[in-house]
Amino acid sequence: MSDRYRIGIDVGGTFTDLACVDAAGALTFLKTPSTPEDQSVGVMTGLSELAERLGLDLPGLLARTARIVHGTTVATNALLERKGARTGLLTTRGHRDILEMREGLKPERYNLLLPPPEPLVPRDLRRAVPERIGHDGAVVTDLEEAALDAEILRLKEAGVEAVAVCYLHSYRNAAHERRTAERLAALMPEAYVSLSSNVLPQIKEYERVSTAVVNAYVGPAVRRYLESLARRLAAIRFEGSLFIILSQGGVAPLAEAARLAAATVLSGPAGGVAGSRRVAALKGAPDLIPFDMGGTSTDVSLLEGGSIALSADRGLAGERIALRSLDIISVGAGGGSIARLDAAGILQVGPQSAGARPGPVCYGQGGQSPTVTDANLILGYLDAEHFLGGRRRLDAEACAAAMDALAARLSTTRDEAAAGIYRLINLKMADGIRLMTLRRGVDPRRFALLSFGGAAGLHAVEVAREMEMERVLVPAMASVLSAWGMLNGDLRYEVARSHLGDLASLDPAALALIFAPLEEEATARLAVWFDGAIRVERVAEMRYGEQIFEIEVSLDGLDLAARDAVKELEARFHRRHEELYTYASPGQEVVLVNARVVAVGAVEPPQLASSPAAPSPAKPGPVAPLRSRRAFFGTWREVPVYAFASLPSGMVLPGPAIIEAETTTVVIGDGDTLTVHAFGWLDIRVRCNA
Amino acid sequence: MAKPLDPITTSVVQHRLSSVVEEMGEAMLRTSYSQILNASRDFSIAICDTRSRLIAQADHIPVHVGALPWAVRAVEAAFTGTIEPGDVILLNDPTTGGSHLPDVTAFVPVFGEGVRRYWTVVRAHMGDIGGATHGAYNPAATEIWQEGLRIPPLKLYEAGRLRTDVLDLIALNVRFPRDFRGDLAAMIGAAHLGERRIERLFREIGAERVEQAVEAVLDGAERQARAVVSGWADGTYRGEALLDDDGRGREDVRIVATVTKRGSDLSVDLSESDPQSASFANSSHANTQAAVAMAFAYLIDPDIPKNDGAFRPLSVTLRKGSVVWADDHLPVTLCTTHPANEIVEAIVKALSAACPERAMAGWSRRFRISVTGDNPRTGKRFIWHMFHARPGGGASPAGDGWSGAGEWHSVGGIKFGSIEVAEARFPLRFDRHEFRAGSGGEGRHRGGLGTAMDLVVEVPAYAHTAGEGARHGAAGLLGGRDGAPHDYRLVSQGSSRPLRTKEFGIEIAAGDRLEVRSGGGGGWGRPEERAPEAQACDLTRELTQGGHAGGQE
Repeated sequence: MSDRYRIGIDVGGTFTDLACVDAAGALTFLKTPSTPEDQSVGVMTGLSELAERLGLDLPGLLARTARIVHGTTVATNALLERKGARTGLLTTRGHRDILEMREGLKPERYNLLLPPPEPLVPRDLRRAVPERIGHDGAVVTDLEEAALDAEILRLKEAGVEAVAVCYLHSYRNAAHERRTAERLAALMPEAYVSLSSNVLPQIKEYERVSTAVVNAYVGPAVRRYLESLARRLAAIRFEGSLFIILSQGGVAPLAEAARLAAATVLSGPAGGVAGSRRVAALKGAPDLIPFDMGGTSTDVSLLEGGSIALSADRGLAGERIALRSLDIISVGAGGGSIARLDAAGILQVGPQSAGARPGPVCYGQGGQSPTVTDANLILGYLDAEHFLGGRRRLDAEACAAAMDALAARLSTTRDEAAAGIYRLINLKMADGIRLMTLRRGVDPRRFALLSFGGAAGLHAVEVAREMEMERVLVPAMASVLSAWGMLNGDLRYEVARSHLGDLASLDPAALALIFAPLEEEATARLAVWFDGAIRVERVAEMRYGEQIFEIEVSLDGLDLAARDAVKELEARFHRRHEELYTYASPGQEVVLVNARVVAVGAVEPPQLASSPAAPSPAKPGPVAPLRSRRAFFGTWREVPVYAFASLPSGMVLPGPAIIEAETTTVVIGDGDTLTVHAFGWLDIRVRCNA
Repeated sequence: MAKPLDPITTSVVQHRLSSVVEEMGEAMLRTSYSQILNASRDFSIAICDTRSRLIAQADHIPVHVGALPWAVRAVEAAFTGTIEPGDVILLNDPTTGGSHLPDVTAFVPVFGEGVRRYWTVVRAHMGDIGGATHGAYNPAATEIWQEGLRIPPLKLYEAGRLRTDVLDLIALNVRFPRDFRGDLAAMIGAAHLGERRIERLFREIGAERVEQAVEAVLDGAERQARAVVSGWADGTYRGEALLDDDGRGREDVRIVATVTKRGSDLSVDLSESDPQSASFANSSHANTQAAVAMAFAYLIDPDIPKNDGAFRPLSVTLRKGSVVWADDHLPVTLCTTHPANEIVEAIVKALSAACPERAMAGWSRRFRISVTGDNPRTGKRFIWHMFHARPGGGASPAGDGWSGAGEWHSVGGIKFGSIEVAEARFPLRFDRHEFRAGSGGEGRHRGGLGTAMDLVVEVPAYAHTAGEGARHGAAGLLGGRDGAPHDYRLVSQGSSRPLRTKEFGIEIAAGDRLEVRSGGGGGWGRPEERAPEAQACDLTRELTQGGHAGGQE
């Protein structure tokens, strides 16, 4: 069959994006409003609209679809909005407060007026269980089942929906956690259960308990959503595979995402990173700042030399998640951010967002407060008649009335109020880029800004100007880059175990014995979802004896059967230590702490040659604008409006100009220059003042 | 002449230097050997210039940072004209800019375009520094020589060449030479990492322009700090805080701060404080300067960079021979915690009248225990410093205090470290480590809770204590009550006795328990004004007992 489709679906706060590639590489994409109450409703609507575009009905489309890859924000939203499950925690007696103690650390060292945060599990739902495992894995105190049962029933009575279990040293001996899971299954069969020894079987109790708690907190919502989606798809006989993209950039099947729900908090942004990487490769532009501005939030990451770091140091909304994930910063502002006056009468934009419902005032769904999108409409950057390709008529009158009300309170004009909102949101976006670059000592000026996500095109050039970045790239599928990027995500299954011990005491056989079962487990798990060739990455996390932080040493190309395998691993550790920290201490004992294995099933990236925006190279001459309209660039100007898809490769265009596509609008300012590149992508040279 | 700087370059330089110190700190944290450094982060990082001004610092331990410029001053004086690329300089002595002997400081000069311009500075609290007893805290000391090895500014590396004889001399004089060498390597590694990063910045932007940008950054911080101080009520204010005792029978040692605020200037006079102690409960000059800077940093806006510019509004008057500036021969090891904490508290109390909306109730006192013995699992001697059982933070106008977040000198900057890792490394078992109900000072906003810890020591061992706060709890403010004081006990073969805050050579038998109940933070505002919902919530969560905060367990 020539039309075996692959579909990427990215659910954002405001829109659900779909990108569909057929076997020949033809790309079709669209946006449809998200349905926050049950995201699967919007997903199904999007699939129906996609089918219509392709001249099929929904069952017909799904019958021809080999794979759906999905990025979901269910976990992200639950955590950010504090709308996760009522969660209980079972923990070792005498250690009730590990979660709330946060290892004694408080952020913002010099801000002594910062009040302590509310923990995800309040103290009355953190229940201590008589049991104790020692550091060597031996049982110090038996698990008292009667007391355990009483605590479980107490949680049940308190209306708890999810239970995290974290006992001390369970990475070494998980018997008590497993027995607790059995009792939970018996007494609270409906509860979502998150065992720390299952979620993150590694030494260090705070990281384990926090990760297990986040997992429990978001787990029920994620599970409910994925089950509902699977049911809906099954009802129309979808028989292809359905994957969820995880925070570490790999994809996994539904059951795995439901088990490791905490690994989906960066699901959507991970698609954006995968897409950006692919753009970097196709474009030969390895140094990019992916800037993904949506309706509710904006994600910023950093591609240096075409790659992005994985980090185990991440968290979200102040909660520690020690699972490895892509290094992405999220700013809680976007096109839906609401403009308001603060207590001092000063104009502020965000952090509240109008979201998908009621949405901006101009959506005519009952929104009363002007948003960034409303400002864009007032300023003429958006066109009331041509939003979403004309599929949604914007209510310009309601929008103007709301902006007038705000302007009156500011004693200014409608235009000035809208221009103020536009400037403020751009500064906020620039701050997000500062966090990712200047804050880490990276000069953003040598990077190109990769603009994607529905709202980015309206702001990217001004944000780049603020940061003195001279180049902005807008790929043709910019508005759905995350959804498209998901089609590039490899399948990954990761397993790790703590194995605390001197490296010197291991012979190669023993080393192989540590990794072999992990490899077996990882490849076996992956083989269930993936029938292609599986590649294995092995990593040893090591340190000098008295250090407590490990560094990762890759075992790539290391023959574990070789006689000097341990010596070679040790040598790699010393070298890596020196690279990172300027010195090594050969002669000091080296300790292996965690062994980690990732099984990777590589996915062939979709082709792009026949993208709908691809130009016909035969006629590289200029094209006429679609129309012109008045837009505000300091003063009102009559500005040409071009259709994104009509721009031929090689065309050069001075600003100001507006480039419209069905799903995004790109604003190019005075003095900026647009060059249209291969695939019809926009390459904008930004006028900087310096 | 140099062309004027654009704001983006200034911003790049400012953020780059702060990311350099952050990166140095991260390297230090990840590579050091001793538990006191890698688990508990008792170290600080800074960049200073050749005029001994603080340019950038990482937010680690506030009490170290204000002291570092004094150390740079001593190094500049000692090696005028003889500092070369590749030098590494060490010092620890309080007479030459050190705080107390266990805090060893390493300096690496940074050159740009052939000119020496900056220092990368790493100060770290070593697990041991020799002297009469392990771990430097010697409650029995009557002279500084009993507290450890004194190191004046000395070159450990000369133009890149290690003076192995000097290193051997130092290592021979400390109890855990392997850890000491490991920690020193980590410090020097971090300082070199900073050097490389600054050199790269010089190459990118030009050394002269970097210096121009630094001036702009310092001046900006000064402007911001002065704007804050200008908003406070002019006047002369007085605040007082008490040490429990000096360990030699003198109780209630007074720290008195007289603070005069006029316009955008603030002068702090501590000369009415009590005379110096015969014990280690004294402060050195640099440490007291640092404590005053720390109090000031807590009261200005948190986002003002802590650099030389921010502290320009501040002047300090001290009297030699007082407990806040002891004579050179006296021991001072306790100083970075006490009287540093009492100095901060006296100043904040004084200024609570000038800026009540900024002043916070007392954070707790430090009461440390160090335990040493033989570790049967490794066959080696071990030393364990207690950073667990963190006490409570003070309440503030903005809300309740942070439970288990610590003392004035650390304010949530000391990580107590994983219990699992501690149990895997030391012959210790933590049977209990959770909040101590009822320990937070009552108030409209409640003080943070201390911690209840039951620790079984599995082998015969010795312990010393060093600290404060078993008699006086963290101060309540503006009607709030004091937090509960510390209550530590040793349970040995069935009998229990309280531990004093300055005890030497406590014998511990295998299987004995330390029952530690650390103090709570002070309350803010009158307790009658506490919201009923907040009171009810405290009860449900078993944070208070019987509806009363501020009591004992």
